[in-house]
Amino acid sequence: MIASSAPNLTTTTIPKEYDGHTSIFLPTMATVVDVQPETKTEKIFTLRLPDGENLNHNPGQFVMLSIPGVGEAPFGVMTSPSRTGETFKLCIRNAGDLTSLIHQLKPGDQVGIRGPFGRGFPHDTFVGKDILVAPGGLALAAPALSLIDEILDHRTDYGRLIILYGARNPSELLLKDRLAEWEKRDDVELQVTVDHPDDEWTGNVGVITTLFEHIQINPYKTIAVTIGPPIMYRFVTMELLGKGLTPDQIWMSFERRMKCGVGKCGHCQVNHRYACQEGPSWTYAEALAFEEAL
Amino acid sequence: MSLYILSKEQLGEFVEKLQAKFRVVGPVRTEYGYAFDDITKPEQLELNYSTTILPPKKYFLPQREVLFEFESETDDKGLRSYEVRPIFQEVEPTVIFGVHTCDMHGITLYDRVFAEGYRDEHYVERRENTYIIGMECLTPCDDASFCKDMGTLSAPQVYDLHMTPMNDHYMVDTGTERGEKLLLDHVYVEMARKEDIQQLGQVLSSKWPRFKMRLKVTRDQTPSLLTLGYKAKLWEELGEKCLACGSCTNVCPTCFCFDVQDEMDINMTDGERSRVWDSCQLREFALVAGGHNFRDTKASRVRHRVMRKGKYIKQVHGITGCVGCGRCERACLVNITIPGTINNLHDEMHPEPEKA
Amino acid sequence: MTKPKIAFFDFTSCEGCQLTVVDLLQTHLGLLDLVEIVQFREAMTEKGEDYQIAFIEGSCTRESDEERLYKIREQADLVVALGACAHLGGVNAMKNRWSIENVQTYVYGENGKDNYESYGARPISAVIKVDAAIPGCPIDRFEFLKIVQMVLQGRTPKLPDYPLCVECKLKENGCLNTMGKPCLGPITRAGCNAICPTYGDGCEACRGFAPEANFEYMREILRGHGLSEEDIDARFSMFNHYQLMQMGEDAPLSKPIVEPDAPLPTSTFAAPQEN
Repeated sequence: MIASSAPNLTTTTIPKEYDGHTSIFLPTMATVVDVQPETKTEKIFTLRLPDGENLNHNPGQFVMLSIPGVGEAPFGVMTSPSRTGETFKLCIRNAGDLTSLIHQLKPGDQVGIRGPFGRGFPHDTFVGKDILVAPGGLALAAPALSLIDEILDHRTDYGRLIILYGARNPSELLLKDRLAEWEKRDDVELQVTVDHPDDEWTGNVGVITTLFEHIQINPYKTIAVTIGPPIMYRFVTMELLGKGLTPDQIWMSFERRMKCGVGKCGHCQVNHRYACQEGPSWTYAEALAFEEAL
Repeated sequence: MSLYILSKEQLGEFVEKLQAKFRVVGPVRTEYGYAFDDITKPEQLELNYSTTILPPKKYFLPQREVLFEFESETDDKGLRSYEVRPIFQEVEPTVIFGVHTCDMHGITLYDRVFAEGYRDEHYVERRENTYIIGMECLTPCDDASFCKDMGTLSAPQVYDLHMTPMNDHYMVDTGTERGEKLLLDHVYVEMARKEDIQQLGQVLSSKWPRFKMRLKVTRDQTPSLLTLGYKAKLWEELGEKCLACGSCTNVCPTCFCFDVQDEMDINMTDGERSRVWDSCQLREFALVAGGHNFRDTKASRVRHRVMRKGKYIKQVHGITGCVGCGRCERACLVNITIPGTINNLHDEMHPEPEKA
Repeated sequence: MTKPKIAFFDFTSCEGCQLTVVDLLQTHLGLLDLVEIVQFREAMTEKGEDYQIAFIEGSCTRESDEERLYKIREQADLVVALGACAHLGGVNAMKNRWSIENVQTYVYGENGKDNYESYGARPISAVIKVDAAIPGCPIDRFEFLKIVQMVLQGRTPKLPDYPLCVECKLKENGCLNTMGKPCLGPITRAGCNAICPTYGDGCEACRGFAPEANFEYMREILRGHGLSEEDIDARFSMFNHYQLMQMGEDAPLSKPIVEPDAPLPTSTFAAPQEN
C-alpha cells in the first residue's frame, strides 16, 4: 500500500526474510575465523558469512558489526573485493565499550554483520590514472587497503601508485609486512613518516604533509585518496591543491556516528547528506559544498 | 471515491462498531490538555481538540520498538553463537480518529523516510495496519500554530477517511477503498447531495481567514534564507538559551531520528535490540568513538534542527520538514520557536536600511 | 563462569537505596544466579570479605569513615556509588554551608557538640576512586540491574547524559513547568524515567546535574514561578550542595554557598539551646 517511488535498496546481508517478514535491522551471524593482534591497540579479525557468501563490497564501504546485547557500530572493510572470497577482514581499534569486547573475541565466536553500506571509492573511474593514497593511522588498514589491493590486483589498469602513510609513532605503524612488500616493489612508491620517532626509527619524521615534499605528481592525471581525522584533511588538501589537483580529484572518507546504516536514524548526517548512504566517501569538491563536512 | 454525510449523533455508534474489530485511538482529554490515546468509550473521543503533546507518530514509530530478539549459547570452549529473530509485534488493526492536517503531512513525510530506500517493514507493517481518519481544522489550535505558512492547512492524500465538522453532521471524504469500506461497513451514512457539497465549500473557504501567517518569508523562500544565514549570529544566541532537553524534536511530527540500544535479559544469555527516539539536540548525537563531536555546541545543534526543518528534509525527501503544528514552540521553556527563528534570521540577513 | 562476589556497604544515608535492591531481589531473583552477595547488612547476617564489586551507599561525613573506604577500595576490583549520598554527597552536604562547629552546636547542643565526630559531607569519590555511580534518591532498581549487567558484560557502566525532559516527553507527561509547578528536569541527568514528574512532583535533581545544564535559563524559568533568588539557590543545592561548592565562583547561585557563621534556621529538629 505504501508505495515507494524508488526501487528498494538491498545489500548482501539485508533485507533479510524471516517468517514472512523482512527486516533491514536483523544482522547476519558471521563467524570469526581468525584474530591477529596488529599493534597494542589494533587487532585484525577475519570473518566468514554463513556458507562463505561473498560480502560483495566496493573499496571504501563499511559494515555494521554487532555483538548482540552490547551494540553495533560501523567498521570500514579492510579486504579488497579482489581478495574477498569466503572471508573478509576488519581492523579494529580498541577504543571503547563495544570494541573492547570485540577484542576479546576468539576464532569460533559469532558476530552480527549488516551491509556492506555506503558509497565506496569509485575505483572503476580511477582506471588509467595515477593514484595517490594518503592514509593516517588506522585508515591504512581500513579502508585504504581495500583500495590499494584492488589496484595492486589490477596493476596494469592504473598508472603510478603512490602511498604516503603517517602514524603517530613506529609502534603504531600498521601492516608492517605489507609496507615491507610495497617498499620492495618497483610499481609502488611508498613513503612512511611518524610524528614521534623512537631510537630505532631511521625513516621520515613529521606529520603526513611533510611527505608531500618528496613527491612529484602529474596534476592532469592523478586521483588522490586521503583518509584520516578531520584535522588531517585540512592540511593534506592544502598540499594536494598546492600540487595542482582540483577538489574533484581528491577523495576522502568521513567518519560519523552511525546507528542504522540504512539512512534512517539521522546520526550520520552531514548537512542534508547521509554519510551511510551517499558517503562516507566524498570528493573534496562535494565536501566543500556542505558546511559540516570539514 | 465519494463524499458522505455522517450525522453527529451516529458518531458514537460508528466508534462502538469499530471497537468490536479494531483498536480505536483518538484525542482524549488529559489533565494538561489532550493526548492521542485508546478510546474505550465513544464519549472519550474529543474531535474538537486543539493539539496534543505528541503527534500520532507514536503509533507508527513507537518511543521504543523492539527490532529483534536473540538467544545466545556458549559452548564448552567458551565460544558464543546466536540465534536472532526479528520482532514484528502483531499490530492490532488500528483506527486513529481526529488526525489534524498538519499531522497528516507529518505522516506523508514518514512514509517517504521509512518506505523509500531501504524499506523499513517495521514501520510499513504498522502503517498498513492503521486506518487514518483525518479531521479538518476550521480554527487554529492556538497562537503557536503556523500551519498556513507551511502549507499544511489542507489534508494530503494519506487519509483513509477525512471528516469536516458541519452543523449537525460530518462531511466524510473517502481517501482509500479500504477507508470507504470501513465507513460503509460500520455506520449508516448518506451520499452527500449537491447542496451538502456546496455547503462544505463554504465552510472550507471561510476557514482560511481565521488562520494567521507568522513568517516574514514564504515556505519556499526559507531554504535560501537558511543557506544565507548558516553563519548568522542568531545561532549563538539561541545556543545560549537552549536547554538541550530534546523536547522540540520529541514532540515534532516530522522528527524521526532514533538510537539503537541492546538490552540483556536477567539470564544474561538472551536479549533484544530496540530503537528508541533520539534527538539531534542532545550532546552525544554526533559523537564518534574517538571522542570527536561533530556538533559539539548547542548553537550548532539548534541550527541543525532548524536547517533540517526548513531545508535539509526538503532536499532529501522533497517535502518541507516543518508542518507548522507549533508543538516545539509549546514545549520549549525558553521560547525558541521556528517562526521567531526564521523571522530573526530574516532580519539579521536583511537589515532595514537606516533612515536618514 | 564463576559468579562475581558483591558486597554492600553503608555510610551516612537512610539505607533506602539498599532497600531498593532488596525490593528488586523480590521480583528479579535471577540476579542471584549472576552474582554472589557476600555482605549485605540489610538482607543477611553473614559477612564475607572476599568481594570483587563493592556497592557503597551513603556519603562520607567523618574523617574516621575514610579508613573504611580505603579498605573497601583495596579489596574491591570495582567500586560503585549507590544513590545520591554516595554519588553526590546528597542532602547530607546541605550542612556544609555552615562551619562544622556551628552545625554541631545546633544539632547536639553546647554540651553535646564534642561528643560526636563530624566533618563536611562529601561523595565517596572525594575520598576514593569510584568506577561507576548509580544516581538517585533512591536509586532506580532497573538502572541498578542494568548497571550490574553492564559490569558483568565487562563494559563501562554509562549514564544518560541528557536532561530528564527527554524521558518526560517520551511518556507524554504534561510539563510541570508550564503547569505552574517548579521542576528541575531541564538541568537534571535522566535515567529515572522521570518518575517524580510522572506523578506530579517537580524534579529536585537528585540524580545530579546534566553535563550541559543551562542554569542561567533554568533560574529564569523558576523566577517565572515567582521563586525568590534564595528559593532557587535552595532548590539547586538540595541534592547538589557539594557539586555547587566545587564549582566555586562559577556556581550558578545568587550568593556564596558557604557561610560559616550564618544563622542556622529555626527547626524543631534542633537541640534545645541552653542559655
